[in-house]
Amino acid sequence: MSCLETIDLVHHYSPIEKVLDHVNIQVEEGSIYGFLGPNGAGKTTTLKLILGLLKRQQGSITVFGRPFESNRVAILKKIGSLVETPSLYGHLTAYENLSVLRKVYQCPKENIHTALDVVGLSHTGGKKAGQFSLGMKQRLSIAMALLNDPSLLILDEPTNGLDPNGMIEIRELLRQLNKNTGVTIIISSHLLAEIEKLVTDVGIIHKGRIMFQGALQELKMKQQQLQSIALQTSNNVMATEVISKMRLTSHIENNRVILPALIKDQIALLNRELVNIGVDVYEIRHVSNDLESIFMDIINN
Amino acid sequence: MVSFVNSFQAELLKTKRTIAFWMVISGAFFTPVIVTTARLIQHQTLPKLYASPEFWISHWRSSWESMALFLLPLGGIMITSLITQLEYRNNTWKQLHTLPLSFTTIFISKLSIIIVMVLAYLLLFNVGIYLSAVIPYLIVGDVPYPRLNAPFHFFLQQDLYYFVDCLPIIALQYLLSLHYKNFLVPTGIGFLLWVGSLASLSWKYGYFVPYTYDMYTYLKSGVVNKAVIPEVNIHWLAILYFIAFTMCNYVLYLTKNAKG
Repeated sequence: MSCLETIDLVHHYSPIEKVLDHVNIQVEEGSIYGFLGPNGAGKTTTLKLILGLLKRQQGSITVFGRPFESNRVAILKKIGSLVETPSLYGHLTAYENLSVLRKVYQCPKENIHTALDVVGLSHTGGKKAGQFSLGMKQRLSIAMALLNDPSLLILDEPTNGLDPNGMIEIRELLRQLNKNTGVTIIISSHLLAEIEKLVTDVGIIHKGRIMFQGALQELKMKQQQLQSIALQTSNNVMATEVISKMRLTSHIENNRVILPALIKDQIALLNRELVNIGVDVYEIRHVSNDLESIFMDIINN
Repeated sequence: MVSFVNSFQAELLKTKRTIAFWMVISGAFFTPVIVTTARLIQHQTLPKLYASPEFWISHWRSSWESMALFLLPLGGIMITSLITQLEYRNNTWKQLHTLPLSFTTIFISKLSIIIVMVLAYLLLFNVGIYLSAVIPYLIVGDVPYPRLNAPFHFFLQQDLYYFVDCLPIIALQYLLSLHYKNFLVPTGIGFLLWVGSLASLSWKYGYFVPYTYDMYTYLKSGVVNKAVIPEVNIHWLAILYFIAFTMCNYVLYLTKNAKG
């Protein structure tokens, strides 16, 4: 069942600048949806529209099966969010910041302690949030997003400002939350490598358009399809002719012959053929495109 | 209603340790401290002063002079701007607008907390007025306790007038603070309007300037030669301005495209 669905979202900041161009995203209940795209691609604008922080101009947003605008308050009760930079009251302590939200959510007091424990800030005592490091502020923002035991967690670049260890901890925390409570998570990032170990589904946005959407497995299959062999020879033109006779496609790129991935026997056969016609083979290399290069390939397509 | 109460409590918690909170306390006791100090220095004049049947009225008027002309309008400008700008300064509008609260509840609870802070400002000022009358009597010997009881009904009525007259300042400052991210814009405009109000007191249409009403209320009960006292009911005008500014602000807030 779909937890969140947007249909044909279009957004302009000015009449000539189309920031979102018919964005359709679908997030399944219980999934961890990685929303990827380079800076300025439209990720934050999409998330702000989903949370009602921007006025919808065109298209529709459905959350928990209900239209967002006519059910805004009821839907927001079940959402925890962190949008862009931390949003905290600098003159209040971590506990007081959470207390402000607790007054609105009317959730038990224990939730404050639990949320602080989860993000490792229960020791901060009387220290004001304004005196926190960026990483601590980010953690507190995540605690605030978790306070009301949400069914949907929307996190816009939540690991910004965290050191590598902090990033791993947050990833692990989100994975555990998803596993233990079944919370649906939408996490945006401009780095696929940062979230590929966490997400189950991926949406890739570029210049306001969704370029790919589907399970991470689908993206990985694309990766396998895009694996190739690179040859460096003394005569690349002759090499491509030999490859063509073997009924394989190839092209020359950066002084190398690129052809689809082959099994070991085929590689050995190709090497023999090339040597037999007097073409020296300097290098045979297996090119494995990682997910990041697939991501780059998609957005640069 | 329940969500309003919850939101109001959250807003109240946010004021903890803020400049606005300390301003309410320091601003309210500023004049009473000055009055008390001056009386303690000039203690030889106190027996005669305290024996006067007009003591409470004269004490009330001398205490309100700086409050009505300066501290209340400027306090209203600063308290309103500081509380509203708290969200811009902490980058928390987006946090506030993703809470399960209707925009109307957010708008009203923020306005309510500003009004409560201004009421607290007036209440503490009244406490200060009383203390500044009693402390010299307790410290300096041979000073009689004021002979007549304080005219509380009159004081209460005056307090109400001053509060109502302050409402246009709150409403316009709230509008400006809600729509301008830069703190200097609402406070700067507020300060210019306050200066303009002082200048327009002697103009026959000065009562159209919405920041003048506290000044008129003070001046019309005594030093009338300093101002052209309007013949219209300025308290109703203040209420009308408050409603107009608040409605305008509410519509602008609801129709704002970006809320965070």
